[in-house]
Amino acid sequence: MKRLPCDNLRILGIAPSTRGFGFAVLEGEEELIDWGVKAIRRREYKNEDCLRQIADLTDRYRPDVIVVENCHVKGSRRSPRIQKLIQGILVLASQRRIRSCRFSRVQVRKAFALSGTLTKYDRALEIAKRFPELAPRLPRRRKPWMSEDERMGIFDATALAFSYFR
Amino acid sequence: MPRRKLPNYLRTHRKRTGFSQEELAFLLGCQNASKVSRYERFARLPTLKTALAYEAIFGASIRELFAGIYEEIEQEVRKRAETLAQKIYTENPDLLTASKLDHLRAIIFGPDIIEENS
Repeated sequence: MKRLPCDNLRILGIAPSTRGFGFAVLEGEEELIDWGVKAIRRREYKNEDCLRQIADLTDRYRPDVIVVENCHVKGSRRSPRIQKLIQGILVLASQRRIRSCRFSRVQVRKAFALSGTLTKYDRALEIAKRFPELAPRLPRRRKPWMSEDERMGIFDATALAFSYFR
Repeated sequence: MPRRKLPNYLRTHRKRTGFSQEELAFLLGCQNASKVSRYERFARLPTLKTALAYEAIFGASIRELFAGIYEEIEQEVRKRAETLAQKIYTENPDLLTASKLDHLRAIIFGPDIIEENS
């Protein structure tokens, strides 16, 4: 995959989840411009509402690249709804002539491998170190009986966006 | 060519501080958060007083906070500086004209270039 020269590129990372999606906007490798979690209330129109909100984000930030997860690799356990949503994001990017990029979970893990991150939470800790403004949003380490905190979507999205530069 | 900056980075700075839009509206002396939301969505330009209040709150210069708008204005000023420099240029300028031309060159080429050449 040919990447654009990285000077001040604006990258929008999107990490869909059961409740909506997490997002992060990077300007170059060092500047985190915006981040957050969007929760979608209307169950029947989850994907449509997600895409509407993502369209708003692209209008506001005019990203150079949108980065999402590659859920078509062997072993991906993403639900059909999220796979459809990711496909919808790629179509949206294409319609707005925004370059898109997909990374599998393995690729994102490799991008952080040098810092010795083992788990998703370790990666989130690493991201919070690099971008201290995210530290207040870091949830507690998940126990086996807990569902994933929705704030992890911010870190997943940041990891995706940051992987573009690695 | 370097990428164009966003019109402003008010939301970025607000999120870094952790303030809500309501809290920021209070600090700015606004009645409610809707103005803050409009500034952050690039839907409205704040007044000079509000821009200065932002600088006081975030400790970042107006130039940094409104980087994209500053870039646009800087480009327009540079073009006008080129026009004015051509208009007042003379082979043997008096002291006043020479001073003006120096200042215009600093606008057009940046102060660092002038310092290097002097």
